Amino acid sequence: MTHSTINISTTAEDHHIAKLTALAIGLHMIEAVIPSPLPGVKPGIANIVTLFVLYEYGFATAAWVSLLRVFASSLLLGQFLSPTFVLSLSGALLSLTALSLAQYLPKKYFSAITLSILAAFAHIAGQLIVVRLWLIPHTGIIYLIPIFALAALVFGLINGLITAKLIKNN
Amino acid sequence: MRLFLIFLLGFLLAGCTKPEPLYNTQSYVFGTLVDITIYGESEAKAQMLSNEIIRNFQSLHNRLHTWHPSELKTLNQAFSQGKTPVSIQPDVAKMIADAAKLSIQSKGAFNPAIGSLIEAWGFHHDEFKPVKVDANKLHNLVQANPQMADIVIQSNTAYSNNPAVQLDLGGYAKGYALDIALAYLRQQGAKNALINIGGNIIALGKHGDKPWRVGIQHPRKPNAIATLDLESGWAIGTSGDYQRYFELDGKRYCHVIDPATGYPVQGVESVTVLIPPQNNAGTLSDVASKPIFIANPEARAEAAKAMGVENYLVIESADKILVSKTMSKRIIWLDKEAAKHAVQIQPSP
Amino acid sequence: MPFKFSHHPKPLIGDWLVIFASFALVIFMFQSFWVFEQASNLKIRQGNQIVGTFDLNQTRELHIKGPIGESIIVINQGKVRFKQSPCRNQYCVHQGWLSRAGQVAICLPNQISLQLMGEKSSYDSLNY
Repeated sequence: MTHSTINISTTAEDHHIAKLTALAIGLHMIEAVIPSPLPGVKPGIANIVTLFVLYEYGFATAAWVSLLRVFASSLLLGQFLSPTFVLSLSGALLSLTALSLAQYLPKKYFSAITLSILAAFAHIAGQLIVVRLWLIPHTGIIYLIPIFALAALVFGLINGLITAKLIKNN
Repeated sequence: MRLFLIFLLGFLLAGCTKPEPLYNTQSYVFGTLVDITIYGESEAKAQMLSNEIIRNFQSLHNRLHTWHPSELKTLNQAFSQGKTPVSIQPDVAKMIADAAKLSIQSKGAFNPAIGSLIEAWGFHHDEFKPVKVDANKLHNLVQANPQMADIVIQSNTAYSNNPAVQLDLGGYAKGYALDIALAYLRQQGAKNALINIGGNIIALGKHGDKPWRVGIQHPRKPNAIATLDLESGWAIGTSGDYQRYFELDGKRYCHVIDPATGYPVQGVESVTVLIPPQNNAGTLSDVASKPIFIANPEARAEAAKAMGVENYLVIESADKILVSKTMSKRIIWLDKEAAKHAVQIQPSP
Repeated sequence: MPFKFSHHPKPLIGDWLVIFASFALVIFMFQSFWVFEQASNLKIRQGNQIVGTFDLNQTRELHIKGPIGESIIVINQGKVRFKQSPCRNQYCVHQGWLSRAGQVAICLPNQISLQLMGEKSSYDSLNY
């Protein structure tokens, strides 16, 4: 975290970020085509890239990578402005909000695992808010919340462990 | 994590309980919904019992149909053509005799002989539309004074002394069918059942370790206004202005017609009666609500007494709800507004 | 980007705290949101509207129109499922039979939801 994230004139770093964004888009799209037992329950492996970029390049870059991924993937999948895209975007926005706060947690006690779990919970919360307010405006989805929360915990933990490994290795 | 999932699975399985031995079936007979619930019998037996009951209901309905060809229609045609006796089935003879007795008991308020009046108001159709009825015609129909007492039954034949008599057992047959069904269930050794014919309900036994519980429809809202426990052998019935009615010029014309005036009753939304166990509890639950419904507000208690009804509930409007003393002890209000407005009826001296 | 998986990252004390707190939260959610009662009624919604409440103890097929077409819902003696849906991914159809109170099946593209309810109505039959 010694690098200034605003310094985008460094072409090597620029390329690196572009590569990471491409990777995130790739992971996002792989997940999009893998069937899931329940709509909305996905491992969210693209978040590993967001977290990795957060640690290596700072929050602003991570936000760019994350939002670029959401927009680019939806355009590539032909879902731009569809409910799927809005769900993706709301999840990403809330997840970034959580990360923007969580990045100030003392590194001595909290690793990428914490950030990943918090981001996963925020992601699912963002999606559920949209579902409740826009797509299914009634309380029925309350019964799905525990499943989503469990998924967020499990995948948040796994993604966090992977991110932690990547950071140590890099 | 695996441990947690195993724990979760155990938690899920522990939540599943054994299903109740409750059988429920619904079908359309008597132009309305028939709902049979049987508790504590094998599914095969419960199904057999309810199929048999439905078949009996269907056959009774076909025989007593007022506007499709039926035994009753044939009888009505004979009545209108003079005093020639026509042969009738023993059970129909019994029904006519019983209905005649109840008609006298109700001082003519319950009168199944006014088929022509009901016809004039257009309720003899599967779907009825608003009609303007000629006042003179109604006057003549009332003046013709058709009474159950005009019908003479002699060794399984019947004729009418008054050609104006036209039988309509619409306010009798459903209750009668409840009694038949209850007798059949008892004879077949069934212990627990709840039979609902278009809102008229009779109970046998219990629902597990609790009595059967029935809801009473709110006459103006899409939900129950109250509930009460219907113990074994008890029957409940309601006359309401909200089931079969039409609206014309902002006025509601319901299917309950006052035989004395020839006009549909106005100013009351529903009357519910609760009948204790007796041989004809079902029949009474169908019949006894009508005289109370038709009576003037101040004469309701008297009408109830004449029919031997102790437990009854009258909803005149949202803020005028009257309930007999014994009924108020049984009823559990679901509608808070109704509970607030419910007043105890002073018993008839 | 040649990543080597040689290190085993150990969760820090704060991570453990977060993990356990989340764990507790998830268990709490399951306990408070899930009721394992055999359902008796089914509420069907389309968009903002309640299509109707149906008794689950019957065999019946319902055809409900949504923004992308007609969904077919089947009620069969205590359980219900989406039988056919015009949606692309068919998530709702794959959810299969629902029978417990509180269960929900949703077809987002066609904005139709099935919600199962328990013996909320406190009576066995209705007098009307």
